[in-house]
Amino acid sequence: MRRALTLLIAGLLVSVVAVAGTAVAADAPPEIALTIDKDQFQPSEVKVKANTPFVLVVTNKGAKAAEFESKDLRVEKVVPAGKTVNVRIRALKPGSYAFFDDFNKAATGRIVAE
Amino acid sequence: MGGTFVITLREGFEAALILGIVYTYLQKIGAQRHYRYATRGGVLGVLASIALGVVVTALSGPLLDLGPDIIGLAVIFVAVVVLTWHGYWMRQHARAMKGDVQRKIDEAQTTHRMWIIGVIAFTGVFREGAETVLFLWGLLTQATSTSGWASALGAVLGLIMAASLGWAIFRGGRHVSLQRFFGVTSIFLLLLAAGMFSTGIGRLEVMGFLPATPTAWDTSFLLDDHGFIGGFLNGLIGYRSRPSVLEAGSYVLYLAVAGFLLFRSGSSSPRSDAPKGRIPAHAV
Repeated sequence: MRRALTLLIAGLLVSVVAVAGTAVAADAPPEIALTIDKDQFQPSEVKVKANTPFVLVVTNKGAKAAEFESKDLRVEKVVPAGKTVNVRIRALKPGSYAFFDDFNKAATGRIVAE
Repeated sequence: MGGTFVITLREGFEAALILGIVYTYLQKIGAQRHYRYATRGGVLGVLASIALGVVVTALSGPLLDLGPDIIGLAVIFVAVVVLTWHGYWMRQHARAMKGDVQRKIDEAQTTHRMWIIGVIAFTGVFREGAETVLFLWGLLTQATSTSGWASALGAVLGLIMAASLGWAIFRGGRHVSLQRFFGVTSIFLLLLAAGMFSTGIGRLEVMGFLPATPTAWDTSFLLDDHGFIGGFLNGLIGYRSRPSVLEAGSYVLYLAVAGFLLFRSGSSSPRSDAPKGRIPAHAV
């Protein structure tokens, strides 16, 4: 039983790493910058092309950690203070997608795909 | 202050719940001397959370983009495996638990690997741990103004509240009969694991490893899973106010498959350590 569990866990880990590896190797989609500073997103409205995957390059210029989160996109990503994190976003249908900082609800914004 | 209170309460609730159950479980089967497995798992979980929090702030580039996500995914799926296994085990023993209770308890201690308890405690704490560490750290470094102190205080109170709930489960659980505790907890662990499985699948979906699916329903106007009550239900049964079709589907699929494994007629289970002369499954 113990060996079975060890094998199962090892298998899961290997597959997760393998899947992650293929993702890194994929073509680089366009990058769009987004900054968190003084409890606000800059810009607070991000315009993107609809039906095209892209990467949000989120930089936290504040002194405390932020969590970029969007319920519309179902994305949650911690951005430590002073760090930049790439958030891959799938191709979006035309529309507006709200996001916020889960660690600081005052910071909000939206992505507009058109 | 209220905002940070809800955040840490939400993050700490699941860990408190799992630890509460794990300690009650050990107490129930008379294995107080094995508390150390749960304690070690929990402490290691806290240390690993702090370590990951520190490492994440030191990382940059692709490691920071993917590292925490991969660790998060691994923890989720390991937790699903150990919780399912433990739930299955408890279910089997809930069936057999009538009769000579002391003998069953001794048997439980010899047949159930105690290190599994440690793994459950570890994953329970570590799952949301690093995020909570980063959040708290940010608040504490900002705690120079009055509002900063209030936020930090709110966050600490949220964690204390979560820990109190875990303690309440432990206190309350002692008075429940062994068989009922096993029966109820195995079902609860099943729901908890279903919620985690669905979360893991949702992460894979968002990361692009699984096809994107539309939103299955949106009840966030009614009960937001980031709110007070919604957050509890999220920790308790994996409630989501806005899941994708894949997330909702994987929750149901997990429940169906694991539920079948747990609740099919116990007599067909070929366990070599099954107690002799046990009461048939219909007694449950």
